[in-house]
Amino acid sequence: MTNSNVLRLIHAGALQQVMERCQDLFTKQNPDLKSEMKGVGSREGAKRLLSGEHYDVIALADQALFAELLVPDLVENYFVFAADQIVIAYTDVSKGSKEITPNNWINMLLDSQVRFCHSDHHLDPCGYRALMVWQLAEKFYERSGLFLELEGSCSPFEVYPKSFNLASDLIKGKLDYAFLYSSQAKQLELPYITLPSKINLSNPAYADYYDQAAVSVESKIPGNNIIIHGKPIEFAIGKSRNSQLSELAQAFIDLLTGPDGDLILEECGLIPC
Amino acid sequence: MLDKPICTLIIAEVYTMSDDRSYKFDSTISMERSIQAELLLLLGQRPSHGYELIQRLNEADFKSGEADTATVYRNLRRMDKDELIRSHWEISESGPGRRLYELTPLGKQTLDLWSQFLSFQKAKLENFQQVYDQYVESLSKEENEVNKS
Repeated sequence: MTNSNVLRLIHAGALQQVMERCQDLFTKQNPDLKSEMKGVGSREGAKRLLSGEHYDVIALADQALFAELLVPDLVENYFVFAADQIVIAYTDVSKGSKEITPNNWINMLLDSQVRFCHSDHHLDPCGYRALMVWQLAEKFYERSGLFLELEGSCSPFEVYPKSFNLASDLIKGKLDYAFLYSSQAKQLELPYITLPSKINLSNPAYADYYDQAAVSVESKIPGNNIIIHGKPIEFAIGKSRNSQLSELAQAFIDLLTGPDGDLILEECGLIPC
Repeated sequence: MLDKPICTLIIAEVYTMSDDRSYKFDSTISMERSIQAELLLLLGQRPSHGYELIQRLNEADFKSGEADTATVYRNLRRMDKDELIRSHWEISESGPGRRLYELTPLGKQTLDLWSQFLSFQKAKLENFQQVYDQYVESLSKEENEVNKS
């Protein structure tokens, strides 16, 4: 049973800081309002709505998830509000942290002593985007077999339902390197390697190039998989069609997509669109 | 009225091209600023959202270099704030809603000033090339005369 007087928001784990700051501001503007937020892998979040869980506002790390899973039955309109890129984050105690550069990251990661990982690609866009980066790197660096090499050397990803969990283990020293969004690395003040724009999924100019990457993920039908293709990274937000607090949900979306939201996004290392 | 900082700056540059300051501007004009001119021109052609603008900019023959996403959106926000462009959210029936940008009258005037400035630059470069060609020709003549003697 859900309380219809509580604004319920579900969001990409990568948006944790952004959503908390927006929630603080929104609560100041609406002091009587109660709100609840849940951070999950965005694919998992969309599937929670499909399974009947109720949320008023949905903010996901991949705008394509709305069209694939939520529009038109559960969400009418959705808005692209931020862009980002995939980077390789690490810490000062990561193995090879003093030597890794944008030019040698592949060999550094393939060292058998080094532990690296991505989040679960069945649940989290950051996970399938990391796999796409590996496929694009194979083409970009003309290094045949690279994708399989990286896949074979990667630590078990199933324990990371969202990139937020991956970042936590990186900070705890359980991993040496993690494929994260640039904004997460900035928020956590982690050093990171920037990848060429042709492979880091940041630039719409390379949309056709990114499209060559394809990853198989679980579809909305349990047990079935679908192939998704690489796209420039874009975050989007929408309002549930059956929200009991429709005006408030829209007001929250207006905040995130307005000047206050732009400022928060920028301060959290995302690119407001 | 052209009372915005960017317009003031460009007007100052256009109208002081014959004095010493023009040289300083020529040597310090950044890719960041030239991207603004390029975006104004693309938005003059037709209103666009950022995603499309980045694609159009990278396909344009006049681009200064690879336009990365952060740079383009940062300049769009800056120009929006300076009222050179305006934006609103456009809802799409087939895809996501996106912020649509369009040129304002002030933006059109600024684009005209950019064009004047670039015309001046072009003329100056052509003059340089002409004088350089004359210099090379004179060197060649001198060399020939030395060889004859």
